[in-house]
Amino acid sequence: MTRSGVLRRVAVLAGSLWLFAGLVALWWVLSDHSRSPYFPPLRVILHRFDQLWLFSGESTGLDPSLVHLAIGYAIAAVAGVAVATVLYAVPLLREATSPVVYFLYVLPAPVLIPAALALFGIGATMSTAIIAFGCFWPILLNAVDGLRATDTLKLDTARTLGLSYPRTLWSVVLPGASPQMVAGLRAGLQVGIVLMVVSEEVGATNGIGNFIIQAQNNFAFTDMWTGILVLAIVGTALNVLFVGAERLALRWYYGARSVARAR
Amino acid sequence: MLVVLAALGLWQLLTATGALNRASFPTMWSTLRALGDQLTTSGFWTTIGQTVEGWALGLALGGTAAVLVGSAIGLSRLASRSTAPVIEFLKAVPSIAILPLAIVVLGTHLQMKLTLVGYAVFFPLVIQVVYGVRALDPTVADTATTLQVRGLRRFLVVVLPSAAPFIATGLRISAATALILEIVAELIGGAPGLGQRILLAENAGPTMFPLMYAFVLVTGILGIVLTGMFTLGERRVLHWHESQRNLRGATR
Amino acid sequence: MGEATAPARDRPGEVAGGQAVPVLEVRHLRKAYPLREGERLAIEDVTFEVARGELVCVVGPSGAGKTTLLRCLSGLMAPTSGEARFEGEPIRSVPQGVGVVFQDYSRSLFPWFTVEKNLELALKVRSMGKEARGERIAQVLAAVGLPEVGRRYPWQLSGGMQQRVAIARALSYQPELLFMDEPFASVDAQTRFELEDLVLRIQGAMPDVTVVFVTHDVDESVYLADRVVALSRPPATVEAIVEIDLPKPRDQIETRADPRFAALRGEVLELVTGRTRRA
Ligand SMILES: Nc1ncnc2c1ncn2[C@@H]1O[C@H](COP(=O)(O)OP(=O)(O)OP(=O)(O)O)[C@@H](O)[C@H]1O
Ligand SMILES: [Mg+2]
Repeated sequence: MTRSGVLRRVAVLAGSLWLFAGLVALWWVLSDHSRSPYFPPLRVILHRFDQLWLFSGESTGLDPSLVHLAIGYAIAAVAGVAVATVLYAVPLLREATSPVVYFLYVLPAPVLIPAALALFGIGATMSTAIIAFGCFWPILLNAVDGLRATDTLKLDTARTLGLSYPRTLWSVVLPGASPQMVAGLRAGLQVGIVLMVVSEEVGATNGIGNFIIQAQNNFAFTDMWTGILVLAIVGTALNVLFVGAERLALRWYYGARSVARAR
Repeated sequence: MLVVLAALGLWQLLTATGALNRASFPTMWSTLRALGDQLTTSGFWTTIGQTVEGWALGLALGGTAAVLVGSAIGLSRLASRSTAPVIEFLKAVPSIAILPLAIVVLGTHLQMKLTLVGYAVFFPLVIQVVYGVRALDPTVADTATTLQVRGLRRFLVVVLPSAAPFIATGLRISAATALILEIVAELIGGAPGLGQRILLAENAGPTMFPLMYAFVLVTGILGIVLTGMFTLGERRVLHWHESQRNLRGATR
Repeated sequence: MGEATAPARDRPGEVAGGQAVPVLEVRHLRKAYPLREGERLAIEDVTFEVARGELVCVVGPSGAGKTTLLRCLSGLMAPTSGEARFEGEPIRSVPQGVGVVFQDYSRSLFPWFTVEKNLELALKVRSMGKEARGERIAQVLAAVGLPEVGRRYPWQLSGGMQQRVAIARALSYQPELLFMDEPFASVDAQTRFELEDLVLRIQGAMPDVTVVFVTHDVDESVYLADRVVALSRPPATVEAIVEIDLPKPRDQIETRADPRFAALRGEVLELVTGRTRRA
């Protein structure tokens, strides 16, 4: 890269980040002499954040949460795509189940947390189960929609090429549906994060949700703020990871789209 | 309809025969009976009203703010560029993260629900609005300029309608999120509404489980009704766009 | 098909002393698009004039900078140097008395409005009363041969009909100067002939309307124009300005069969492609 190229990149970065930096600075300054117990100075929050969460942090509340999320989400993703493929392949089954599937998709998943509590009791199983359940429906529904939207011309092409049904499914239908599947996976991730926190706030003995609720109950508002900060960072990080993976996996899609747009 | 009956039948079969644990899964029949009992009480309808109120007001507040702020940002390239990282970050902050804060500062009142629901609605929607306003077709913009359509009229008659499909998609997604957060606010924040009744029923022990599932059913039906209203409204407002609608393009 | 019957207006371009100011003057217009590195020169140097009531075609090969030129002339974009004047005034923004018809009719008609509302918008902006608006809309829709589509949405019409609506909209506020950017490039040949005749008929019925018609089609330019401004290959300069002295009214079959048509067409084609005819 040339030197002016580097400079330009720096300028672009500065051009888009100045407001963010400015707002953080403003928060720092405005909160610095705050006496409100609810709104401690940012300085104090960051100090406590360092004590609690950074490398030598005392609290390990995040690990179990992320484990619950990872397992629950993975189950939902695999099951969602698999069930979607079956529903696509067997139209009768799809028609028959669609009202129930739609009901469960629309049902806000947190209402089932009490039921899950009754079923699994307090603990990791409950969190994981409710995350898997909640993430499953948006993933399933988007995947079915994506599969059904397969271009008939592509199916005809596959047939004239003499591809077998499984081969067509694997090489034509599934890749074609992948952009919308990814949209479903993204929606599922958002739901998963909410359920991770809520389930721990209601029925867990550890995890970030539990940490926040404990802090709130003990009037440890600075600790509570660090929890909010952790959630913000985790949410952003998961989002960035997801977008990165999506860009990589759907390179063909974005490539084709930008060509189409340039025309 | 047949399918729904079949599903209900299957539920009854699984629970009545004991294939599913009777203690944690009430039978379909007892659940429907609990629901039937509720239908005649006034408290039941008040509860639904409370949930719908929080949902609707939160959606209206967050939605209006998002459209206003998003339009203002979208009209300037510098503003869109500078605010994008802030909005993306705040959007990634799961709205439930601010729940404890909202509870300690605002208590379990309507304000708490509205803050939470409004926050959950605002950020995803504001991104859609900015995106929609920025995506104004250059030919459309040129046409408006040559016709001398300027200022507020240009915004109302040209910019807003052309961003409407994006805004509608954002609203539809936000409406679902809003209901989730409304329930969470009741479940954890202890604000009155369906979520609170569900938790209370669970706390009361297995004898009250039919009631808990009755409320779960009601929440789902409420979800279907509210979502259906949105889809209908969208179809009416955006009928002109139906032909070229590309939801996948609009959601990202 | 209805005849255009817009009332004649007085001539604001007339200057004391009786000497007419050209409706449009273009002087050494140059446009370079700034790029990430350096710039792209789209128009090198263009100079020409258009008198009141004339129909001038600007013809040039694809990518010559025709759209760029038209955007500069209609005030949608500022030239890099040189200038364009409308009735003696330098063009800084789109003047009130200018109408533009874009190539892409499907995007230039607002899909969320009915045809009527599309037309009404420009009249509302010019604070015309409700009744007068209704009359004017009926009048221009009849003039473009679409008296009965007011209540429909643009996307319920065929491409040719949509372009007629776009023309009606541009005419509705009775502009002094009408710019058209390859307006018929994406309709079928049959419709294209009809629309070309529509333009000629409108111009015959409203002798005060000046038309600058941009096209890459040499035949079209010769068929329509009083004069043809031939642009070079990009970046554009004016190769020559050709007088088209074919008799009027013109006719798709007769005019095109005229030996003078063939000669003029050959002449313009040579200019545009930069090739000399084989002996
Ligand atoms: N916004 C822009 N930025 C940079 N370059 C541009 C831009 N618009 C057009 N150009 C370039 O300027 C040149 C002229 O473009 P223009 O669209 O004016 O040509 P045209 O004669 O209208 O072509 P066509 O017949 O295809 O419509 C082209 O080389 C084009 O790539
Ligand atoms: Mg062009």
